[in-house]
Amino acid sequence: MGHGKYIAPPKGKYQVQAGEVLELQFVVLPGESRNQDLSIDLTGPGAQAHVKALYLSTYQEKVNLNFVVHHQAPGCKSTQLIKGIAGGSAQVQFHGTIVVAPDAQQTEAYQENHNIVLSESAKVDTQPQLEIYADDVKCSHGATVGRLNEDESFYMRSRGIPEQEAKILQMLSFLSPVIPQGREEELEKVVRAATRS
Amino acid sequence: MLLEIHNLHATVSDKEILKGIDLEIAPGTVHAIMGPNGAGKSTLAAVLTGKPGYEITEGSIRFQGQDLLAMSPEERAWAGLFLSFQYPIEIPGVTITAFMKAAVNAKRKAQGLPEMKTADFLKLMKEKMAFVQMKPEFAKREVNVGFSGGEKKRNEIFQMALLDPSLSILDETDSGLDVDALKIVADGVNALRSPEKSAIIVTHYHKLLEYVQPQFVHVLKAGRIVKTGGRELIDAIESKGFDQF
Repeated sequence: MGHGKYIAPPKGKYQVQAGEVLELQFVVLPGESRNQDLSIDLTGPGAQAHVKALYLSTYQEKVNLNFVVHHQAPGCKSTQLIKGIAGGSAQVQFHGTIVVAPDAQQTEAYQENHNIVLSESAKVDTQPQLEIYADDVKCSHGATVGRLNEDESFYMRSRGIPEQEAKILQMLSFLSPVIPQGREEELEKVVRAATRS
Repeated sequence: MLLEIHNLHATVSDKEILKGIDLEIAPGTVHAIMGPNGAGKSTLAAVLTGKPGYEITEGSIRFQGQDLLAMSPEERAWAGLFLSFQYPIEIPGVTITAFMKAAVNAKRKAQGLPEMKTADFLKLMKEKMAFVQMKPEFAKREVNVGFSGGEKKRNEIFQMALLDPSLSILDETDSGLDVDALKIVADGVNALRSPEKSAIIVTHYHKLLEYVQPQFVHVLKAGRIVKTGGRELIDAIESKGFDQF
C-alpha cells in the first residue's frame, strides 16, 4: 500500500507497513444509516494513519462507528478526529480503541471524538478506550457530547444574524476540521437543508 | 423619543433584578448609567437586546415607537440597536469577515436590499478596522478567539462602527482597558455622535465619561434609577460613592 487517500466508504481493514502513511476520511450524510467497522494495524516502524470522520444525522438514522487502531511497531503515529451532529431521533455510537503493543515504543496516538446533539430524542454514545502495553508513548483521547453554544448564538443574533443562520454558521464551524477539502460547498448545502427539515 | 422604558420589572431565575425602571432617550443624546455592582446595569442591557433567560414581569419598552419586547434579538439589531458586550463571546471557526458579512447582509435582506458586493464590503470593513486601529490581519481571525481583553473591546467598537446603529449600548466597555485602548473606544463612540444617534454608557468608573461626555447621568441602584442629573453627578459619585443616593 502506498501513500495516498481513500475516500469513503473505505474498506474495513488496513495494514500499514514501515514508513507508509494511510489517510482516511469518512462522511456520513443525513438519511444514511451506517455500520462502519474500521481496523488499522500499524505493522512496520514509522507507519502512520490519519483518520477523519464526519457525520450529520438529523432524521432516524442509526450510525455505528467502531474504530480500532493497533500500534504493533515502534515509532508509529496515529491521529483520529471524529466530529458529528445528531438531530431528529438519530442514534449514534462511537467505539474507538487504541491498542499499543508492548514493543511499540515511541508511539504517538491521538483520538478526539466531539458530538453535538440538536434534539431531545437524538442519542449519542461515545466510548473511547486506550489499551497501552508499552511505556514510552504519547497518547491522548478526548470525547465530548454537547449542544450548540447559546452564548454564541445570542452574540450572532445581537448583530442581526437570524437564529437559523447562526445555527448554520455554528454547525459549519464545528464540522469544518473534518470537512474534506473540495467538498465545502456541498457540505454547506447539506447543513442548510438539514436545518430546514 | 428613540427609546422609552416604562416601569420595567425583570427577573432572572425568579429573582427580581429590575424593579421599575423609567428612562427616556431622545435622539442625539448620550446617557451614562452608573451604579454599584449588582444594581442591575448589565441586566438592563441584556433585556434591551433580548438576551434569553430574562423574564419581563411588568412594564414596556418602545424603540422608535415599536414594541421592543415583541422583537427578536436580530430584529432589534436590524432596527438599529447595538450592544457592546461586557464579555465578548468567542466563536471558534467563524472569521470576523464571515461574521460581519453575515450580519450586514442579514440586515440588508430584512430591508429588502440585495447582498452587498464582496469588494464593497471588504473596503468598508478595512475602513472601519483602521478607524479603531485594528490590524488588517484581524479580518481573517476567528471572532475573539485568542484576543486580549483590549482587542475584544476594540472588536466590539469596530462592529459598532460597521453596523452604524441608532442606539448603542456600551456595557462596561471600559473595564480592564488601559488609557490608550480607552481613548480608541471613546473616539469610536464620539465619531458616531450625530443629531439622530444616541448611546447608553453603562459603567461604574468615571474615566470613559471624561472622553465621551454624556448629557445625562443616571444612578441605578437596587434595580431602580434613583437619581438623574447632568455631569455634576459623575463628580459627586467620584468623591462620595453610591451610598449617598
